[in-house]
Amino acid sequence: MAIHDVGYRAWKGSLNSPWTRWTVITRTGVRRAWQSTWLKRMMLFAWIPAVWFAAGFFLWEQLLLNQDALQEIPPFLVDELHDLELEGFSGGIYIEDERVARHSVWSWLLYFFFRYPQGGLMVLMVGIIAPPLISQDVRSRAFLLYFSRPIARWQYALGKLATVWIYLLMISAAPALLLYVLGVFMSPSVQVIGDTWDLPLRIIAASGVLMIPMASLALCLSSLTEESRYAGFAWFAVWILGGFAYAVMTAVELEITKEPDSSILDKWSPLSLYHALGEVQSWVFGFAPFEQIQFAALLLVLITLISTAILFRRISAPLRA
Amino acid sequence: MNALIELNEITKNYGSHRALDRVSLTIESGITSLLGPNGAGKSTLIKVLLGLLRATSGKGRLMDFQLGRHNRQIREQVGYMPEDDCYLSGLSGVESVQVSAQLSRFASLEALRRAHEILDFCGMGQERYRTVETYSTGMRQKLRFAQALVHDPPILILDEPTSGLDPSERESMLNRIKILAREKGKAVLLCTHILPDVQAVSDAVVILANGRVRVADRLDRLSVPMAPSLRVQVLGDAEAFLSQLEMAGLTVRPGVNGAITVDGLHEELAEQIWQVARRAGVGVRSIEHSRNSLEEIFLTAVREQPDGHP
Repeated sequence: MAIHDVGYRAWKGSLNSPWTRWTVITRTGVRRAWQSTWLKRMMLFAWIPAVWFAAGFFLWEQLLLNQDALQEIPPFLVDELHDLELEGFSGGIYIEDERVARHSVWSWLLYFFFRYPQGGLMVLMVGIIAPPLISQDVRSRAFLLYFSRPIARWQYALGKLATVWIYLLMISAAPALLLYVLGVFMSPSVQVIGDTWDLPLRIIAASGVLMIPMASLALCLSSLTEESRYAGFAWFAVWILGGFAYAVMTAVELEITKEPDSSILDKWSPLSLYHALGEVQSWVFGFAPFEQIQFAALLLVLITLISTAILFRRISAPLRA
Repeated sequence: MNALIELNEITKNYGSHRALDRVSLTIESGITSLLGPNGAGKSTLIKVLLGLLRATSGKGRLMDFQLGRHNRQIREQVGYMPEDDCYLSGLSGVESVQVSAQLSRFASLEALRRAHEILDFCGMGQERYRTVETYSTGMRQKLRFAQALVHDPPILILDEPTSGLDPSERESMLNRIKILAREKGKAVLLCTHILPDVQAVSDAVVILANGRVRVADRLDRLSVPMAPSLRVQVLGDAEAFLSQLEMAGLTVRPGVNGAITVDGLHEELAEQIWQVARRAGVGVRSIEHSRNSLEEIFLTAVREQPDGHP
């Protein structure tokens, strides 16, 4: 029983902007997802690689201060560095131009950070957040509650997509930008910002490459079922089967040609979302020309468009019934 | 009174199936009940009113807003309580109502304050802090009612608001609806199958059948019979009694619950009925001036042919 029951009272007050309605759906989604203990653990785990990469930035800046130490690098690492063909170096490890070399090493560290630890963690994190986001609304028929309000379907979809984007930003752009800021602090001069001004933009672009197609695909799968677990299975199956198909096809072709060639790896990358994402991110950080990644980029664009179209159709379906 | 909702020749087709057939209606403030058998087109009509479905043809307006053109503004003005068991999963009762208010553009803190105020009005106690999945049917009904009401809309569309409620909760819900309509000036469109609820609260009734409006009028006018008549209930063989009344030259017709309606209201009629009853060997339970019961109005309306003839 209420202590101070005032009965029904008319309401008068100022209202928020109609353009902020989708943020209510996002805030609710973020809050609900954060109730998961697994997600909290995953978030903590997802920041551990950032610590390792911060050590990488630190070591690089220390190397610049004491370039003679480069002579003491073990031979296998020299070969690896030589293969990377980083700009600003000569003979693999000799720094020709410090400013250019810093830019290319930072780019490489950030690209590596996006492609390997965060790429894998992204799959796991989206697999926790996205499956229930729409499937639970289908199951609990919440569409009627949403759409009997002045909410457009695009606002609903944007609100749900933004929920996934926020968590992906937290494990991709946020730690990467923090790494960049740490790099600036560890460098000898603020002039470094002028030399590396494009890297924050590349970080945001790489996060976009990760977030937009993946959130669309995950929510599309979520909208296709009332059972979150089926959406989760489908999400992981896409990655596992794609990776398996890529591994089989590249192995078969390498067996036939008998000549290890990186173009074979690029050729089959559209089979695997993980490799397609990596290809496009290598272009974003300036390590591959667009011609080399165009099929992977086309795949991501198609996934985004088709998933979004299905998502909108599924959102509208319960109201047409 | 001002017409809050006006529909003019609204038709809605689902492929070859016509769910609404040239529906024309005027709904004024007060409580209007929307009745009809299953598949009559009630849910489709509500969805068209909310702008969730586009009418195949016809025009309409809700307050000053055109249907199909100002859908978002219409949904600002309407509080809709769906019949379906729908909820925002994973949220507590108070959070659900708060989110509903926020979707109607309330600031977060004000939405929370208003949510508590409305839940108090709806008679929901500490259970408001439990997640909605743990609620009973009746509690979910109250929650949906609170969600419909939280943004203080001038028009309420309530789909089966009393189904699943126990008798005392049902009475409380009807009282709340009456308070909102009579004291707070809200227009309520009540969609229900429970005729006593309609009789208890409604000012006007709209009966839909096969997508068409069969009856749309004020309840007090509908209750008055076309011609004066008496309603007779007997103990014994009512069919034999009815035949005897016909043989005695009276105009009679069977009513609901075994009652018989005898046309006319002259002084000798009651005496004549008593005599026929004695001859037929039945006991007279009651003779009273007949009024159209809602059940009769409903059954007559839904039995009518599409051209309007019984």
